Amino acid sequence: MHNHHKAKEVPLKEGERVVLVGNPNVGKSAIFGLLTGSYVTVSNYPGTTVEITRGAAHLNKKRYQVIDTPGVNNLLPLSEDERVTRDILLSEDSHRIVQVIDSKNLRRGLLISLQLAEMELPFLLDLNMEDEARSRGITIDTDRLTQILGVGTVSTVATRRKGLDRLVGGLSQLRASSLRIDYGEPIESSLRQVVELLPQAYISRRALGLMLLAGDESLKGWLHQNLSAAAIEKIEAICLSLQEKFSHPLSYVITEIRLRWVDSILSQVVAAEKMERSSWGTTLGQWSTHPIWGIPFLLAILYLTYRFVGVFGAGTLVNFFEQTLFGRYVNPAAIRLVKAAIPLPFLQELLVGDYGLITMALTYAIAIVFPIVGTFFVIFGLMEDSGYLPRLAVMSNRVFKVMGLNGKAVLPMVLGLGCDTMAVLTTRILESNKERLIVILLLALGVPCSAQLGVILGMLGGVSLKATILWSFTVVAVIIAVGFLAARVLPGKGSDFILELPPLRLPQISNIVIKTAARIEWYLKEAVPLFALGTLFLFFLNWFGLLKAIEELASPVISGLLGLPTKATGAFIVGFLRRDYGAAGLYALAKQGQLDPIQVVVSLVTITLFVPCIANFFMIVKEKGLKVALAMAGFIFPFAILVGGMLNWLLRWMQVQL
Amino acid sequence: MSYELYELDELLEHIWTAREDGQVLLQEEILAPGGEEAAALEEGVRQGLLLLRERDLSVREAATPVPDGVPGFRVEGLMEVALSPEGERRARDIIRRHRLAELLFTEIFELDEAQVESGACNFEHLLSPKVIESVCTFLGHPRRCPHGKPIPPDECCNRFQVDIQPLVMRLCDLPLGEEGRIVFITPKHHARLDRLSALGLIPGSVIRLHQRQPSYVISIGETDMALDKEIAREIYVRKA
Ligand SMILES: Nc1nc2c(ncn2[C@@H]2O[C@H](COP(=O)(O)OP(=O)(O)O)[C@@H](O)[C@H]2O)c(=O)[nH]1
Ligand SMILES: [Zn+2]
Ligand SMILES: [Zn+2]
Repeated sequence: MHNHHKAKEVPLKEGERVVLVGNPNVGKSAIFGLLTGSYVTVSNYPGTTVEITRGAAHLNKKRYQVIDTPGVNNLLPLSEDERVTRDILLSEDSHRIVQVIDSKNLRRGLLISLQLAEMELPFLLDLNMEDEARSRGITIDTDRLTQILGVGTVSTVATRRKGLDRLVGGLSQLRASSLRIDYGEPIESSLRQVVELLPQAYISRRALGLMLLAGDESLKGWLHQNLSAAAIEKIEAICLSLQEKFSHPLSYVITEIRLRWVDSILSQVVAAEKMERSSWGTTLGQWSTHPIWGIPFLLAILYLTYRFVGVFGAGTLVNFFEQTLFGRYVNPAAIRLVKAAIPLPFLQELLVGDYGLITMALTYAIAIVFPIVGTFFVIFGLMEDSGYLPRLAVMSNRVFKVMGLNGKAVLPMVLGLGCDTMAVLTTRILESNKERLIVILLLALGVPCSAQLGVILGMLGGVSLKATILWSFTVVAVIIAVGFLAARVLPGKGSDFILELPPLRLPQISNIVIKTAARIEWYLKEAVPLFALGTLFLFFLNWFGLLKAIEELASPVISGLLGLPTKATGAFIVGFLRRDYGAAGLYALAKQGQLDPIQVVVSLVTITLFVPCIANFFMIVKEKGLKVALAMAGFIFPFAILVGGMLNWLLRWMQVQL
Repeated sequence: MSYELYELDELLEHIWTAREDGQVLLQEEILAPGGEEAAALEEGVRQGLLLLRERDLSVREAATPVPDGVPGFRVEGLMEVALSPEGERRARDIIRRHRLAELLFTEIFELDEAQVESGACNFEHLLSPKVIESVCTFLGHPRRCPHGKPIPPDECCNRFQVDIQPLVMRLCDLPLGEEGRIVFITPKHHARLDRLSALGLIPGSVIRLHQRQPSYVISIGETDMALDKEIAREIYVRKA
């Protein structure tokens, strides 16, 4: 059984792939960034929504492809992310593996190393975050570890580029580990029986056999391709009879044995000095989730966000872009140019008229929305990189429980405040289908994106604080109520709230710049064409006089039920394309003094809850299918009008002064 | 244990619970229900009551009908039984054993209702006082059974009120800032066990509880983690 390998070194060849694996939050992306520089592509792993980042690296004058995989805690996959990482390891051509480990959490890392060793794949251990381990009094005897595992180990501090050359050097001398775990009887004898039935594969048969014993469902496909039905049946019988000898599931029994081995390795290589953990990071971290201090902490962050996004982004920057840049230079110049160059009035109107592509679409997308979304993404990046987001999940877990969700849902919800469409994409971090559906519904229903929020807050600020509170209260209450009902109506179940809280860290400016740039690029590519499309749509409606007809048609609802001027219809029509666009239309009306305070609140509540914008709708179709998307839109549209109508009636009946 | 004693224990248990509930018991309910054997049953109860008296476990049986609504144990409105101090003590013990067993089965083994009942009924006759004391300590000297009925306390529980802490407690009951070594985990479903073990949470691991509100936050090694209370309840630790 213990066929110790001769440790043979496998030199790295030009063009080969280097795969980074490791637990979540160990610094894989940071290492990836150091190795690759700027040639990065992000793509979905085939057949999944899991994103894989690839980049090219020039090391020692040779070219490699580097792949960053999703974080895993075990190579017995429990989630789609973990399965993708495992599949990449199984696939034939991923020869070179670097396992990144958080040095202060060696135990969790070694659980994965043992499995890599079992697969007999050559790999290198990168003990990253060496600085944090040292400051906590943890020292690792890397020589001893190398000796035990039989693979190379290097220590790095990715954020300070420390140890990078050693890492690059180590890459060219990868070895397969010589360590083999003894699982004891009766597992070993069952394993021997299974291994005999398995074909030769890229990873060791012993590792495959253990995955099968552990009941890894995701290997079913592989089994049916590579084995006869009779052999599969035999394997299943072996698994069943072995399982009967344990009261716990075999997957757990196997993990437990591995952890016992890890613990015995740890006792030989780790020396931990008892140190009081009292860096500013841990103290702040404790405050940020404290049942009492956590709340002022949260409010302070909200206030800073408001100052930066609401005041600086939506105020200063928008003013500059809209009034100075576009108002004084771009638009007048464009108008002059178009009028001089193109004699056709139709085209003139199309480009620079009231509903012109330049004067309306471009101005709006670049001058108003861009600064708001951009500043929001900066804040979101800060929250992400500092490690505050999971703490926000801790603080909000209770509220989300009411809606059949857990604290993890806070991530897509907060991102939804930046862009709902992008947020729909991130719902895949939620574990159950039911949770994903509920969050997508709530995003589409009531979470205003930053562009819309900016316009809305600007408008409400012009009325009164009371109006602002009334609007927020109504929207939040509707979200919670709908979530509560959806949790009870939709089939399926929620998932466990088990969330790692990485230490609070000083955000890395370079990380934030890269992430914000990627998000802004995505936003411009996705949103600007839609602005153009929406404007075009309006332009033609107006050109053919249809806008008037629709206004008349919709007036019973708009002026009757909602008590708004018929001119507001235009705003709602564009609201079909983008809600923020619709809100901007209302803003224009309010500026002209055509809306009283109650009308402002009613129209804003309605447009906030209004149908998801086209991009969001398409994203829902992509993630959940046309039927689900149509059902959601079909519920949200009348529901928004209903809530608006009820609010209008209630406010007038109670004669509320705003 | 003789069959006779077994029957006697059942009878005492019924007397106790009926009194607790202020309930009138019909004769059939005391032993097994069954119309045909009514006569035999009546005979059985009579003998049982006789036995109780013989052994000085009961002091009084009123032969005359007692008015409805008076708490006590009555057989077909004919008799009322009151227990002697010795009978009282013995009934208490049986109830205590039964309810502790119920709690053990529900909380730790997570058996369903029917299994819990039959298990508890068998257990109550088997456990020695020493074992019962351990179970009580292990469970942290609980005051109520899973049905919310009081568990009669014994010496061990009174001692506890002064200083002793339960041997093994749920993670959610661990004092804040203290460390505990995981003894076992009783998850509601397998996937949860797999996830916890992947994060290093297995028996033997040492964890520390940092806060309970608004979510449970624990640390294992240098990893901090947030958990639902539901999961923290399923992890049993021994204070390190
Ligand atoms: N102190 C310290 N922080 C690091 C180190 N490497 C990465 N980080 C930080 O750890 C966090 C998580 O890193 P990331 O690369 O996103 O981890 P991934 O989830 O494994 O890709 C980021 O805030 C990094 O700036 C390190 O060596 N030392
Ligand atoms: Zn009970
Ligand atoms: Zn006790």
